[in-house]
Amino acid sequence: MNLKNSTSQTQYEEEINVSTNSGLPPKVAALSPTEWLKANLFSNAFNSVLTVLSTAAILLIIRGLLSFIFNPLRQWSATATNMRLLMTQAYPEHQYARIWVSLGFLLFLTGVSLAFWRAGRRVQLSQVGKRLLAIGAFILLATLLAPFSSKATIIWLIVGAFIVGLGLLLKPAHEDKTISSLTLLSGAFLLAILSLWVVPYGHHSYLSTRTPKILAEPGTVAMTTKLPWTIMFLVAVCSYFLGAFIREKIDETRSKAVLSVTWLISPLFLLFLVLRDPDFDTGHLFSTDIPIFLFFSIVGSVLLLWLTRPDVGEKGRVISAAILFVGFATFLFQMLMIVRILTLVLAFFALAAPTFSGQKPARIRYAKVWIGSMVILCWLITAINTPSTAKVPGDFFIGGFAITLMIFFFTMVLAFPLGVLLALARTSKFPIFRMISTTFIEFIRGVPLITILIFFSVMVPLFLPDGMDLTEIAAVTIAFIIFEAAYLAENVRGGLQSVTRGQHEAAEAVGMTNSQKTFFIVLPQALRVAIPPMVGQIIATFKETGLLAIIGIFDFLYIARSVIPGQTEYMGSTRENLLFVSLVYLVICFAMSKASQRVEKRVGLGER
Amino acid sequence: MTENETKSSIRGDRDLANAQDIIVCEGVSKWFGDFQALNNVTATIKEQEVVVVLGPSGSGKSTWIRCINRLEQHQEGRIMVDGVELSNDLRNIEKVRSEVGMVFQMFNLFPHLTVRDNISLAPIWVRKKPRAEAEEQASSLLERVGIPEQADKFPGQLSGGQQQRVAIARALAMEPKIMLFDEPTSALDPEMIKEVLDVMKELALSGMTMMVVTHEMGFAKEVADKIMFMEGGQIVETGTPEHFFTNPTEERTKLFLSQIL
Repeated sequence: MNLKNSTSQTQYEEEINVSTNSGLPPKVAALSPTEWLKANLFSNAFNSVLTVLSTAAILLIIRGLLSFIFNPLRQWSATATNMRLLMTQAYPEHQYARIWVSLGFLLFLTGVSLAFWRAGRRVQLSQVGKRLLAIGAFILLATLLAPFSSKATIIWLIVGAFIVGLGLLLKPAHEDKTISSLTLLSGAFLLAILSLWVVPYGHHSYLSTRTPKILAEPGTVAMTTKLPWTIMFLVAVCSYFLGAFIREKIDETRSKAVLSVTWLISPLFLLFLVLRDPDFDTGHLFSTDIPIFLFFSIVGSVLLLWLTRPDVGEKGRVISAAILFVGFATFLFQMLMIVRILTLVLAFFALAAPTFSGQKPARIRYAKVWIGSMVILCWLITAINTPSTAKVPGDFFIGGFAITLMIFFFTMVLAFPLGVLLALARTSKFPIFRMISTTFIEFIRGVPLITILIFFSVMVPLFLPDGMDLTEIAAVTIAFIIFEAAYLAENVRGGLQSVTRGQHEAAEAVGMTNSQKTFFIVLPQALRVAIPPMVGQIIATFKETGLLAIIGIFDFLYIARSVIPGQTEYMGSTRENLLFVSLVYLVICFAMSKASQRVEKRVGLGER
Repeated sequence: MTENETKSSIRGDRDLANAQDIIVCEGVSKWFGDFQALNNVTATIKEQEVVVVLGPSGSGKSTWIRCINRLEQHQEGRIMVDGVELSNDLRNIEKVRSEVGMVFQMFNLFPHLTVRDNISLAPIWVRKKPRAEAEEQASSLLERVGIPEQADKFPGQLSGGQQQRVAIARALAMEPKIMLFDEPTSALDPEMIKEVLDVMKELALSGMTMMVVTHEMGFAKEVADKIMFMEGGQIVETGTPEHFFTNPTEERTKLFLSQIL
């Protein structure tokens, strides 16, 4: 301890002399490895004991894990062979192109977005060298610890030594030499893709014919795996360069907005692509859905254009209230669900119209938002109403990781607005809203998620009136939505309370109405504060999708835990599969948490 | 410009004797729990008049000024602003608020919006102006308060004095008839007070009706048409700056002046 202080003291004094000459802030010299060790790991007796003990513990854990993974008894081919089952369950093989097209589109969006938001940052080559050094050292250490065969040991030692050598080569590079983090990332992916073509991972496949045929033989991976992934990689890289190219040509803010909306909407369309058979019945599309869409878009936008006139006054409110009444009344009569929902949404838009009233451009913008919502809503409802005609075993078209992702996506997209509404209702000055919202939130928060899931998957279908049908997946998604909305509402409420009284007063003092104040002043600030807890909640939601396994939905976890170990060839391969599932969850959650840290930094721009 | 010249130029433009009453308070009282913050306040403020409200802290100055655009509700008496009586009717309140600008001690700028959006937000959504027009107005107001180059920054990137000038511009963007200032310089570093006071002086010269709660005696002496001294929720003394600073009648006023001067 003393040593550290004294050395840094003398360094500090030296630097002062330097800095007075150059006028730059003093640079703190990096500690040498021995100094660093002394200062951080062996500064006193207690610290040294802790260091020794925890190093021993870490080594033991690594060794245990490695001997588990590389034990010849492990059936890793169970996971490899069933990869398709884990990802999409019984999705028909001859239609797999649809999944690849969807994935390719998402990667295309990712590439363009990375270019538009200039996501890459410059990384110093010397830093990369240090990282590689650490990774290489870890591989060398792990190889020595693991119970490899002598041939494998030699291969891994060569790999480790190569990485260490690369690190040593890069480490002394000058500070000015940098490389884009995106280049590094795509380089890593390129290596992975190339290895698919070269390295003999083994050729696995599971043919789900009447008598399932399992194929597991040496060689590189199957063509149906390596070719699509290579194309996916190329799509991502090319779309990045495409994005960088068109970024310079067009109005950037506008195209960013377009991209964000595409991100939000495209999964709905892709879902349709994945879930619907190409020859589904298009009849009702032209006879009912499109006419209804056109009617609501045209009549609705004319009405809203009128309602957003600044001088419309009381008449507007009366008409909006009347639409709301009609919207509720539609539930008393037999009619298409789509009409009921659209009427209610129209009532909501009409009630909000005075808040956004203004001159012509503002009114036209409001009508555009209405038509946009109509497109999304009608598409969604149509998509849900169109039954899948593909013949697959089980009651749903897709399962595995895909269903986990799908339920997660719908939960997030729909729970977020519901949560914000609940939070606003809970802090509203109208007692009836406050009461309903508080009761809802407290009730949901007081009940375990698994209870709600079981309730929705078992009980709710029994309560539905005749003629109404709800698939189990839809019921479970609704359960997730209301559960997450209650928690998100509490996060948002925390954000709402953090907005100071002064902000409310300032908004009131310039004459804003209550809803204008909420929408323009309070909510943006509240949501910004609520980002960290909301991201925590989103990650938790993603992990909670594992509960689907308990109520018997063929999700990622269920297939890994129950389906694969049930195959005669892979009896008792549960642990391998569960380890793979944990790895996938870990990677995704870690990526989300990293991404959220960057978002937090970005939105913090305007803060105090 | 000497002190006397300033005054004469203000007086020269305006005819306060024949001006209309714009704020009328009659017997206004307000309680916070058991504590009476305002006790039977009666006062009249004419159009284009600059009134400075002085008094020790806790004397009810801020409460009174906040009652005038109903950030606080008075419990007894009547407040008329530009012919509209403040009551629980929401439409009256919104009408009054869009005609009364307010500047706060802590600025209360919207931290998530740029300076330009801070100023143009209310004109666009409350006054229903086209966006281009509102942004043009924001630019000219920033010019007027002397910081046109800061339009695209966020409030957190400005100094206190600049923030308060943006706050004044934001209030002016609604083209109010009356401006209320609630201790506009109390949260500022000394070297920034002057830049804000200069803007306020310019505003007074242009003929704005102003009600200012402040501890800046220099400003009161130089710019005010009328000084009101409050203590214990009551208006103790009202008069011109000459009368107030040189020849106060009430004992409490004398005591206050002896403490601060």
